[in-house]
Amino acid sequence: MMKRRDSIKTMILGSIGASMSLKSCITSEDKIVLDQVWKYSYGRTQDELKWDYKVLTGKFFSETELLTIEKIANIILPPNNYGSIQDAGVVELFEIIAKDFSTPAHNEYGEKVLRRGLIVFNELSNALYNKDIIECSEKEIKSIFDDIAFNDNEDDHLQEAIRLFAVYRGMVLTGYFTSEIGIKDLGYKGNTPNVWDGVPEEILKDYSVSYDQEWISRCVDQSKRNDIAEWDEDGNLLT
Amino acid sequence: MEIIKSKKEYDVIVVGSGAGGGMATKILSDAGINVALVESGPYFDPANPDQQTQLKWPWESPRRGAGTNRAFGDFHMSYGDWSLDGEPYSSVEGTDFKWWRSRMLGGRTNHWGRISLRFGPRDFKSKDFDGLGENWPISYDDIKPYYDKLDKLVGVYGTKENMFNEPDGFFLPPPKPRLHELFYIKGARKSNVKVMPSRLSVLTKRINNERGICFYCGQCDRSCSVYGDFSSSSCLVIPSLKGGMVDLYVNSMVNEVITDKNGRATGVSFINKENGKDYKIKGKIVVLAASACATARILLNSKSNAHPNGLGNSSNLIGKYLHDSTGAGRGVFIPELINRKIYNEDGVGGMHVYSPWWLDNRKLDFPRGYHIEVGGGMTLPQYGIGWNPNDFNKFFGLRTGGYGDSLREDVKKYYGSTVYLSGRGEAIPLKENYCEIDPESKDKYGVPVLRFRYKWSDYEYKQAKHMHDTFEEIAYNMGGIPLGSKPTKEDNYGISVPGEIIHEVGTTRMGNDPKTSVVNKYERLHDVDNVYVVDAAPFVSQADKNPTWTIMALSWRTSEHIINELKRQNV
Repeated sequence: MMKRRDSIKTMILGSIGASMSLKSCITSEDKIVLDQVWKYSYGRTQDELKWDYKVLTGKFFSETELLTIEKIANIILPPNNYGSIQDAGVVELFEIIAKDFSTPAHNEYGEKVLRRGLIVFNELSNALYNKDIIECSEKEIKSIFDDIAFNDNEDDHLQEAIRLFAVYRGMVLTGYFTSEIGIKDLGYKGNTPNVWDGVPEEILKDYSVSYDQEWISRCVDQSKRNDIAEWDEDGNLLT
Repeated sequence: MEIIKSKKEYDVIVVGSGAGGGMATKILSDAGINVALVESGPYFDPANPDQQTQLKWPWESPRRGAGTNRAFGDFHMSYGDWSLDGEPYSSVEGTDFKWWRSRMLGGRTNHWGRISLRFGPRDFKSKDFDGLGENWPISYDDIKPYYDKLDKLVGVYGTKENMFNEPDGFFLPPPKPRLHELFYIKGARKSNVKVMPSRLSVLTKRINNERGICFYCGQCDRSCSVYGDFSSSSCLVIPSLKGGMVDLYVNSMVNEVITDKNGRATGVSFINKENGKDYKIKGKIVVLAASACATARILLNSKSNAHPNGLGNSSNLIGKYLHDSTGAGRGVFIPELINRKIYNEDGVGGMHVYSPWWLDNRKLDFPRGYHIEVGGGMTLPQYGIGWNPNDFNKFFGLRTGGYGDSLREDVKKYYGSTVYLSGRGEAIPLKENYCEIDPESKDKYGVPVLRFRYKWSDYEYKQAKHMHDTFEEIAYNMGGIPLGSKPTKEDNYGISVPGEIIHEVGTTRMGNDPKTSVVNKYERLHDVDNVYVVDAAPFVSQADKNPTWTIMALSWRTSEHIINELKRQNV
């Protein structure tokens, strides 16, 4: 089986021209891409690697747009002890999703939803303050958000902005809580080998539920999990 | 066109390496029979770091696991889902069917829920009870010894319950319920719904020294790198390859069974997806296990003078009686479960408790039952978490939406407070529900593709309605609030699109009469004595059980039959 790094190299070579030698055609720019794709090691197939390559190269948002997203994202979720929007890679996620959600099924999500959001937010800031979001103070931006961040505003003119803001809020929070610092902040304790032996006693006490003896008497005895299972002929476990 | 022929003749060619094909490969090769296993996807081993997704964190994916490439997210272990590039299918106007295809060694057994339920005595003879559908030509007693052997070989946890139609087996002990499952138990019991430990093929205890034991990461859908759950590739195919009797062909798409002038099979032809070339290999026996619809497609595309409308299709029934499980589901918010103290409750990769069918259909307005699956808990965050951070505020008369630090607290407050109830029910197989060859369309390899025609009947709609009534009752009885609104008749009672539950069966149904069935009780084509079908295509009905355990038990039984036939040199 082809090793991952080799297969990525082959892929990049393939995209440039198979006849050239590795040395002559891997440019420094390709190298950056190679490292970028390599950063994500999560069991991809060849076709998926090709897609990732496509998504991780090229540029969707302009620098100004990215800075605007960063500014908005930091107000939607300000930093705390665990870290910031930048630490959580939220702005990069916007850029990646804009290129990733580009299949016909996604209906030009990057253009029609993510970029559209920036256009609409800028329209609002221009109407109120005669400047783009990027030039607004935090206080000015918050005054705009106060109108579009809540679902109970029924103002017809603001419905599109409200819908788009909900997407930005969703992206920011999902980006944060799927990042390393966000998951620490949430406190999630799993995704690691362990031995489940039921709900901790003190937790059971907090709720109006308990284990019934008949049920758990038949559950796994974790001290015997390594003993190879044997049964009698009626299916009663002997070990 | 260049066709590459191999001179070697195999005893048996097995097409497809999922539950049925993997089992046949193991049983046949263990008996010293020479097997060619032909798989349309690549080699797959979850222990290979280049393929593994188990224990990955969401940030290890650039899109945080979003479902762009894989319908159930980046870490889900299925190469392929309801759509594959260059391999289309269609539905007759006014109908809809979604066809899942996992193209990889082990097929769908790498991603399935590991729910391993035996069919009960009634499930094989449902027509005797309600006059609908057709009885199987075999009974529970015919298949019981194979279920027993399967339990011991593969491993399944559960408990003895002495219920007539939920037969007990050789069980490993189940894991203790999680907190939200204790809420479910309470709610179900109050609603007079039977609830018991689930039955999943996950090793809560060692069964041999080749496979590891479950370490409770909750990710069976990513396929276990220590083989603590069952998948055909990990537990049947890869071990079989060590025996020296199996030649494995990967990335090899079988498009046709080759026959001689008398109409007997002599081998298969396939397209090598890496070089695009056509190959032919020879075998004394062909065993199809490509999945119910793919097997039907291969047979229907295998036309010859002896079999003008497809191999084994003298009954014109190949593709007919296609049926999937019904499905409906509802989320439930449990206010008591807000602001949870956090601990690791990943558990096994699925539910620890469930409800088997508990009612008597003679007293109901629909003929067949369903079981209820339970999901929830403080699960690994993935793309989508926090999207509607405080929607549940509405249940407390608070505003929803907003921005700022409070959102962070909202996400934490509601984390792990939702329970999901899902019904999976039995549909009545109908001749009018089928797949057939689409005369208009071919895939990128030039092979004619399938067109589906599938509509639920009133039986299924009424069953889905009953599911939703039950979900609501249980929701309130577990102290919860059902989310969204209950689907009405106009919403088709929220029933799944056929194919969505990924339990499609029945396209070459089994029977004693060659006029009303395609294969006999040993899953052999009535028309051809050396072609067998060991996936879910021979199912006469699929019960309210997941099909995998029955696919494997039948495949084992058929494999023993093939061994005997080869010994007696009948084929």
